[in-house]
Amino acid sequence: MVAGRNSIGTAGPAWWRTGTPLIWLNALAIAVSLCAVVGLVGLLAVKGLAYFWPSNVVEFEYGEPARGELVIGEIANREIAEVYANDSDAPNMVERWLIKTGNRREHAPDFRWVNREAVSDLRRPRDLVVLQRTEWGNAYGRLTGLREGDAMVAQGADVWPLLQERLLRAESIRSHIKAIESRQIGSINHDLERLRLERRRIELAGGEVPFDLALKERELNSRYHTLEARLRQLEVELGRDSVELEIMSGSLVAVPLGELLRVWRPNSMSLWQKLAHYFRGLGRFLTEDPREANTEGGVFPAIFGTVMMVLLMSVVVTPLGVVAAVYLREYSRQGPLVRVTRIAVNNLAGVPSIVYGVFGLGFFVYLIGGGIDDLFFAEAKPAPTFGTPGLMWASLTLALLTLPVVIVATEEGLTRIPRAIREGSLALGATKAETLFRVVLPIASPSILTGVILAIARAAGEVAPLMLVGVVKLAPSLPVDGNFPYVHLERKFMHLGFHIYDVGFQSPNVEAARPLVFATALLLVLIIVALNITAILLRNKLEQRFGSNELE
Amino acid sequence: MRTSRRIIDLVTRRVVAFGGAVVISTITLIFLYLLWVVMPIFKSAQIEPLVSSTIPKPNVLAFGASPRLEFMYFITARDGLVFAPPGATSATRSLPIGDEELIDARSVFPTRDTYGVLDAKGVLRVVRVVVQAAFDGAERRLETFGEHLFDAAEVPLGEVRDFDVYREVGRLRIVSINAEGRLEFREFEDVEDEFALGSGRLASIELEPSAMAVRFGPRGQWLFVFSAEGRLQLYQVNRVDSIKQVYSGALLVEGAALTALEPLSGRYSWLVADDRGVVTQWTLGRAAEGMGMHALREFSFQRPVRKLRAEQQRKGFLAVDEVGGLHLAHTTSERILARARLDQGDVAQIVFSPRADRIYAITSNDLIQTLAVSNEHPEISWSSLWSRVWYEGYPEPSHTWQSSAAQADFEPKFSLAPLLFGTLKAAFYAMLIASPLAVMGAIYTAYFMAPKMRSWIKPGIEVMAALPTVVLGFLAGLWLAPLVESHLTATLLVFLLLPLGVLFTSFLWHRLPVRFTHRFDGWLGLLCIPLVLVVTWGLFSLDTWLEARLFGGNAKDWFRLQLGLDYDQRNALIVGIAMGLAVIPIIFSIAEDAVHGVPRHLTNGSLALGATPWQTLTRVVILTASPGIFSALMIGFGRAVGETMIVVMATGNTPIMEFNLFEGMRTLAANIAVELPESEIGSSHYSILFLTALVLFAITFLFNTLAEIVRARLREKYAHL
Repeated sequence: MVAGRNSIGTAGPAWWRTGTPLIWLNALAIAVSLCAVVGLVGLLAVKGLAYFWPSNVVEFEYGEPARGELVIGEIANREIAEVYANDSDAPNMVERWLIKTGNRREHAPDFRWVNREAVSDLRRPRDLVVLQRTEWGNAYGRLTGLREGDAMVAQGADVWPLLQERLLRAESIRSHIKAIESRQIGSINHDLERLRLERRRIELAGGEVPFDLALKERELNSRYHTLEARLRQLEVELGRDSVELEIMSGSLVAVPLGELLRVWRPNSMSLWQKLAHYFRGLGRFLTEDPREANTEGGVFPAIFGTVMMVLLMSVVVTPLGVVAAVYLREYSRQGPLVRVTRIAVNNLAGVPSIVYGVFGLGFFVYLIGGGIDDLFFAEAKPAPTFGTPGLMWASLTLALLTLPVVIVATEEGLTRIPRAIREGSLALGATKAETLFRVVLPIASPSILTGVILAIARAAGEVAPLMLVGVVKLAPSLPVDGNFPYVHLERKFMHLGFHIYDVGFQSPNVEAARPLVFATALLLVLIIVALNITAILLRNKLEQRFGSNELE
Repeated sequence: MRTSRRIIDLVTRRVVAFGGAVVISTITLIFLYLLWVVMPIFKSAQIEPLVSSTIPKPNVLAFGASPRLEFMYFITARDGLVFAPPGATSATRSLPIGDEELIDARSVFPTRDTYGVLDAKGVLRVVRVVVQAAFDGAERRLETFGEHLFDAAEVPLGEVRDFDVYREVGRLRIVSINAEGRLEFREFEDVEDEFALGSGRLASIELEPSAMAVRFGPRGQWLFVFSAEGRLQLYQVNRVDSIKQVYSGALLVEGAALTALEPLSGRYSWLVADDRGVVTQWTLGRAAEGMGMHALREFSFQRPVRKLRAEQQRKGFLAVDEVGGLHLAHTTSERILARARLDQGDVAQIVFSPRADRIYAITSNDLIQTLAVSNEHPEISWSSLWSRVWYEGYPEPSHTWQSSAAQADFEPKFSLAPLLFGTLKAAFYAMLIASPLAVMGAIYTAYFMAPKMRSWIKPGIEVMAALPTVVLGFLAGLWLAPLVESHLTATLLVFLLLPLGVLFTSFLWHRLPVRFTHRFDGWLGLLCIPLVLVVTWGLFSLDTWLEARLFGGNAKDWFRLQLGLDYDQRNALIVGIAMGLAVIPIIFSIAEDAVHGVPRHLTNGSLALGATPWQTLTRVVILTASPGIFSALMIGFGRAVGETMIVVMATGNTPIMEFNLFEGMRTLAANIAVELPESEIGSSHYSILFLTALVLFAITFLFNTLAEIVRARLREKYAHL
């Protein structure tokens, strides 16, 4: 960068000598960085938001005219590809379409590439339907009939209105089943497990198992059997109706309404209907559980897990960070030791997050968690309770990871407070503690808040340490539920960032899952960017407020 | 009132001081804890004599201990199979094997609990030694017994010099050298698993007259035949009627005499001891023509080695010298780990317990001596972590990281070199992309940019810092990698043509009237954006045409054929771009602060003396701010070294040592994320992963501290200017 006597800027044509080209080069650097950021966020936004749009379903002949096959599906991607013909070296440019043909159960795989040239008679018939199923992904085709048991109750154009009605019925039965399964049976299982542990605890202590314990167990078991019978009955009712679909190969497929989540006819929807469908889809994405190995459905448990973890973390990190900063700035004697500590704290922010994960796994999970199990949960052994990765350990690990962020931000806030304010308070007879609580901390509170927000933003985006200390691809239950003690800190949880990694890289059907990953990534980025912008705005406000103070 | 205020003040002071000290010492706890987990791998091994007692029955042919050391068993000449707890002088149980006196017993390869037992009439029986837990209600008790396999089938071998037995599911193979020096090979198939032996088939082969020992090799497909003068013949067994000699060679140097022979676990390698006190590890491997034996390494002991014994599960061994000295060594790490000496008597037989935590020696005076061994991590040494190691089955010494595999007799390979190499490679390519963009961008933003634009750019770049790396990694792995693979020419040309395009634009710009261009002085960055978009879009849409012109149609083939560079879809280029984006904001904001912090009177003075803005920048601003820029680069580098998710997602995670831009790598951080969840607590693998975490901690801490010190100096300098 240092210019010598004969280097850039002093020799050459006038244009070169002014140094303008190099200034342009520097400008290029910032332009490239900006394009990259905006481009990435834009890419996420376009791909992520498009996921919920009910695209049109097309139907066309593929192959030679009159002898080709019929293809029905959504156009998922278009690209220009090089195709090498046998007799020439130069590639041919061919437009290819990626068609999502769905019907994975009937004709796997559910995506195929077609050459644009071989497509003929492309049309968008209004009667094509998309069936969203609980399993096997979407189905595309035409509705031909609706059956109740074995009896055909509607055919042709009559199917659609009746289907809406029957779907509502199926939906209500399904939610009933779900309520029984997750609430009632879940709580019975929970109680049974607690009784088992209690029995084990008594046995370990060498005591006599009381009679009423067995009585309770029997009662729970009989309640369980009643519920199970009710469930079986509901399932029979759910399987009553089925809809008949003619798919692209011409064969008829029966889809029981119990497996059918939603039906829509994208080609006959108006713009407003599409918008409504879009926002309903968006809402379901945010509020529903994932389906089909996370490749379909919503991300609610991941959002919930992320929020829970971040909240717990901030509850831990805020007091610790503030106390450490107050100690460093207000109470300790400033000297070389404090300087070294400050540098060390600063450096910790640069230690790779995976190192914290390793520490969390070894220290929190195995050492402390294992110790807690030995002392308090001996009856559950050999299954670990706290001696396994879980929500609490993940929060503590991330609290440690973000501690430097809070300490540095708080210290910065404390440094900004002019000496005169502290001295004024002390001169008026306040003790040091009173000065701290009534004067210093309130003034520094926006910086503390900034630090906490930055810590939250950092924690929400971290994945690597969480993979070691508690995140799983599919948690069977949320860390908060209706069973005592309501908040289960030992449970494993789902996380948006890990969800992206897992669905994008470990799922069996990456092509089908990709739009969902884009949507999840967009959600995560939006949350984190919003948090950061809040922190930046707070900081700017703070700078304005204290800019004048420092002059006094 | 007064006292309560004073008390509150005092309590606050104490609480804050205590809390602050605790928080800050927690930070050192991280380092200490990692160190505490890592320390055991550098602890040296120890051998402690425990007890010695008389053997329960005399004339022991073979003996051993159960895995949990509850029982010892002896196969004796006259009493058959005998069980006794360790240290006991009388047997708890003895079970006869056949009616004749027994003359030899050999553990059946590759089992650890089954023995081939030969009696005085030359009849071979296969016996399994069983120590198993049985439950009497809730009470656990141990059962000991011997099981005759194949319904007590007897195989007549006749008078033999040596024999060996191999067992795999559905098949039993027996090999022996008979009194005339011929090799006899028998193969039996199971009739119903283990219940009866089907009809056997026999093959007989002429050997050289001095052949004295024979052993099966891996998978029962190899036969090692040793002669008294230290020659080895290697036979390959395909079927009974197809046994070929594939190799013959001397194991000893001229003039040396063979003193002991022992296969390492898995039997890929043989330890050969001679009378000079040298033990050589010979291993089966691919040679110029077919298979052969390679001498991997040598161990020198002061005295001739009389006996060798290998551990049952690891690649360690024990050498007993002629004065009764015991030397515990490990082949792969090339270390002699510990030494000990037996109290009394000459060693007649010596064995390891199954987990190599005990050594049992029977001495000539019918004593059995027990030694405790603490040797948790013999395979780790400084040289095995960082230098090339010649592993069994490899053609040459190599840096290899392979922590697990499907085979049972697999030896884990823990070389940190490829991981460190991968880490530095990823960081290097990331810095190659990030540092020019970030530093030049910072200089432009701090020095040339209009303040109004700057107030937008800085938060914009800070938002970029907040992009979660998992999102960057996902985009890199699933979107960028396929895109770059199909548009490789365009991607490479973007790096070349963007700067050239900008230089050309600046040339045209210079031609425009100053009155017009002057208005855009602080906004060049914005003017460049359309240029970036047009050039990138243009190149990507012309990719096929360019590829045909420059690389004859296929860039990947061209690189492979012309430059010998292989192409992986997820490679260092992708990681460089993605991780570059992750570190740009970090470098940018620190460098920008440093440049912006250069006192105004310096630049004003320079400009007043007639220097152009560019001269002022290079001669005054950058010179003054260079320590700040340097520390920005260091912090960026530290970040790139420890980044995990991007590398996990955007590379193939193969631990190779190639600097090729188009191939992937495995970094220390990614390796931890991938392997630690499956690692067993306390194992060598677990400890080594902690060691890599400690290495990462140390590297980043070092770089950050250096950067921090440089920055502190700079701040002081600015204050004085």
